[in-house]
Amino acid sequence: MTSQPSRPLSSGSSPILSHRDLAQVDTALSGMHPTDGAVPATNAPPALFGAGGPMLKKFDQTAASSKMPSQSATPPISVVGIGNKVAKPDYSEAKIVVATVGLPARGKSYLSNKLMRYLKWLEYDVKVFNVGQLRRSRARQRAMTSGQRESHTAEYFSHSNEQATRLRDKLAEDSLEMLIQWLKDGGNVGIHDATNSTHSRRDKIQQRVAREKGFTVIFLESICDDPALIAANVALKVSSGDPDYKDMSPEEAKADFLRRIRAYEQVYETITEPGISYLKIINVGNQVVMNHIRGYLQSRIAFYLMNLHLKPRSIFMSRHGESQFNLEGKIGGDAPLSERGQAYAEALPGLIKDNIGDAPLTVWTSTLQRTIQTAQALPYTKLTWKSLDELDAGVCDGMTYEEIEQAYPEDFANRDEDKFNYRYRGGESYRDVVVRLEPVIMELERQENILIIGHQAILRCLYAYFHNFPHADLPYIKIPLHTVIKLTPKAYGCDEERYTLPIGAVDTHRPKPRAGAPRSRPTGASTSTSRRQYYAEEEMLESVE
Amino acid sequence: MVAPLYTTASGLLFHAGKILVLTVGLPARGKTHISRALERYLRWTGVKTQVISLGDYRRKVVGGTQNLPPDYFTLGEKSPETIALRQRISDGCEQLIWDFFNAKGQVVIYDANNGTRERRRKIAERFVAAGIHVIMLESLCDDEEMILANIRSVKISSPDYRGWDPDQAVKDYYKRIRDHEVHYEPVEETMYPSIRIKNVGDNIMVNDIRGYLQSRIVFFLMNIHNRFRTIYFARSGQSLIEHSYKADSDLSPGGWEYSEKLKEFVYERRAKTLEARGMDPATRRLVPKIWTSARRRSHHTAWPFLTTNPNEPSPPSSVKVMERPQMSEINPGVWDGLTPDEVRQYYPDEWERFVRDPYAYRAPRAESYHDLCVRLEPTLIELERQKEDLLIIGHASVIRCILAYLIGLPASEIPAIEVARGDLIEVIPTSYGVYSQAYHFWDGPGRSDTNSGSADEKNFYENYAEDTKGKRRPEVENAELEA
Repeated sequence: MTSQPSRPLSSGSSPILSHRDLAQVDTALSGMHPTDGAVPATNAPPALFGAGGPMLKKFDQTAASSKMPSQSATPPISVVGIGNKVAKPDYSEAKIVVATVGLPARGKSYLSNKLMRYLKWLEYDVKVFNVGQLRRSRARQRAMTSGQRESHTAEYFSHSNEQATRLRDKLAEDSLEMLIQWLKDGGNVGIHDATNSTHSRRDKIQQRVAREKGFTVIFLESICDDPALIAANVALKVSSGDPDYKDMSPEEAKADFLRRIRAYEQVYETITEPGISYLKIINVGNQVVMNHIRGYLQSRIAFYLMNLHLKPRSIFMSRHGESQFNLEGKIGGDAPLSERGQAYAEALPGLIKDNIGDAPLTVWTSTLQRTIQTAQALPYTKLTWKSLDELDAGVCDGMTYEEIEQAYPEDFANRDEDKFNYRYRGGESYRDVVVRLEPVIMELERQENILIIGHQAILRCLYAYFHNFPHADLPYIKIPLHTVIKLTPKAYGCDEERYTLPIGAVDTHRPKPRAGAPRSRPTGASTSTSRRQYYAEEEMLESVE
Repeated sequence: MVAPLYTTASGLLFHAGKILVLTVGLPARGKTHISRALERYLRWTGVKTQVISLGDYRRKVVGGTQNLPPDYFTLGEKSPETIALRQRISDGCEQLIWDFFNAKGQVVIYDANNGTRERRRKIAERFVAAGIHVIMLESLCDDEEMILANIRSVKISSPDYRGWDPDQAVKDYYKRIRDHEVHYEPVEETMYPSIRIKNVGDNIMVNDIRGYLQSRIVFFLMNIHNRFRTIYFARSGQSLIEHSYKADSDLSPGGWEYSEKLKEFVYERRAKTLEARGMDPATRRLVPKIWTSARRRSHHTAWPFLTTNPNEPSPPSSVKVMERPQMSEINPGVWDGLTPDEVRQYYPDEWERFVRDPYAYRAPRAESYHDLCVRLEPTLIELERQKEDLLIIGHASVIRCILAYLIGLPASEIPAIEVARGDLIEVIPTSYGVYSQAYHFWDGPGRSDTNSGSADEKNFYENYAEDTKGKRRPEVENAELEA
């Protein structure tokens, strides 16, 4: 019903109901219910206002608009059909610069990357501006024009190298300017990913951002004194295809990188400035210092970062076993498992055991019986979450897609057009589900091994968080039945493995109907996103110069 | 989702164990404000929490300052009697803490100055030895105005200063602060987890805080403030099909009429209050910020606030209406649209359990009030943050949960809180609780009171307890300043 034409409000054309009319509608409706509507379950009354029965349509025809003509200038949306598209909330006031602070290999990019994924998942527009990347990109351009190659070994980063220091300062400034421009063009959170290791540099950033009205800056310092963690970060850096080291042996690269770190250490000043807004994260997950964190989004960023940890663990996701409704092609409901679904529930403990051995695990289910039944044989602590219940299809609950299409062809097409934004009447949209799952994500970040027995839409939303899927593609992520997805968070994303049990099940996936639209591999996602991604993604930098 | 996700075998929540929060700070630094706010929040989430105040205990045992030896608060050598008295009071208070933990309490907030390292260490050692997590919560304040306001509004009205001349009392209180200042040692030790708050939420430093409940506490403390504001609540207007959640129907003609009346009344009340407080309506917005749910009946009740009317001073562009999907009413699941009789007929067992515990019972595919509280928790944090005045146009079930939080009512009473359509409820949070008052402004169709009888009959899942279990009107809950 997205574009229900605005009814002219001049008198006459819109049906205005008197109290008596209303009472009649009500009586007529209650008179209808015993026999109309979908087939009643064993001893339950039929759903009164399901889209499968005729009542909803009759009601809409009688009472599409009850608005009195003398009232507001813009008519409110009238209620008809089975749902409508809902616009994204307005985030245009959020303008935050997050400037990282820290020595190389201290996990700055890890934190930036996590934060970006989290905020993007919540539909903020976020972008990381990495100074190292800009440096490499510019050097490459110069190399192309002048044919001269530059050396970016540790000498370049030494603070006694005056010319290089000037160049690096210039790069950091340019990168910040690009970030500010991007925020002005509509971005919400720009992450200035650089070492920003001195008071004077931070002071410059502070002053520059203060010139922009409504912009705030938070410094995010990552301190790490755990030698094992630093060594792991260094190893990751030299082995991840860093273009700075592509002509060097790993040993040389490592030695050079350590020299680079020492060059920074000589001038590094941890944040002690009292007046600025900052978050200091010490050995991720261990200790957090916060100062002058103001604003709602800012405090959420802080809370999120407080909940991260680096302990190795895996997140397992599985849909419930095939349900009776799956077999019948119906959506929603609270149906029990089918026979094959039951077989899956019985086979699941073996699969999990093979995978994690004796490691501890907690199982989360929704409150719907198909997930609880699926978890039944698992010998672990089980917790039930209302927030994990399947997307509420409102008036369409319990119908098949064919039935919906038949009863409400236009609405059906509308949903296919923009599935993420479409809210079922009396139910939810994918966006609503994302909002409701946010606390679940927070809890997931805090936990160690977790197995979620969930539902299709729910797992799509959770999966999209871990793999950074764009929202338009989110409702089309393939989460087949009888398959366990294992996600292992890594420094820059997640490794993924899928285990499908050889127990047949119906396919409940509905691809995007328009030709050309479905992408088998939506942008931003790949089976393994654990590599440091931004080396490849440099197109934005080329346009600046 | 902070509200109790699950209860462990021990009856404690979140597997967080027991927590003792030791407040630290000079007198009049907002310790009590913070302690009470935290207590209210944790209780609302289902955590058994208790503030134990040394000052209150001392007053209970010995009485006001007139009964104290003169060297009780002063510096330097104290007489052996005074030392013994102080010890007795401190021990007695500590015993209260043990008693609460032994009676399955989970969190104690020990509201006292705890100004020296030595004292903090001694207390902490004893509780840590018993397996209790100890957190230092220091409240710092360098805003002289805030300190003075605190002394004037809270401290000198305490029984310690009954019968004193206010200015004398303030002077005396400052002296007490100064005496404390000499010995005061800020929380710089790092052997215990700590949270240090400056100017009630302005700035917060956190050391070694781990665990879910603990980080929730920090997040909460990051979002509170103690500035004066008013929160208004009104129900949405009557809709065409009151008894169907799914139909998400639009307002009825009576509902539209109600929405216009609501707008008029809010303007009227605002003008009056602003005048009474001596505020220029031009500086404070005449129309507060508005929050609605994403349900049409709620969103459309806010519609008149957005309309242009040449006779009204405030241009609609200054009115902010925010639609919050998390504020939808309680979902009745498969009972949607049924009457109590039908439910009794089709779901006899479930009905039985629902009637026994309308807070915790979740009808098939429905939400319980408990589920609703969990869903509303992020909204509450945003509510705490708001510094501007706010009007919430919502559903009875949602307003009940939020009121219960603000007033500090136990969960089991939430379903019975009366939220009549046609009342505007005004809530002003204060340190010790809230002032709340309901103003009646409308008597049309859909008002759920004795005039119309069974207005909510068919929408019983949301309003069952209010209709049957006796009502709790918010006015009854007007908080008194601490006596």
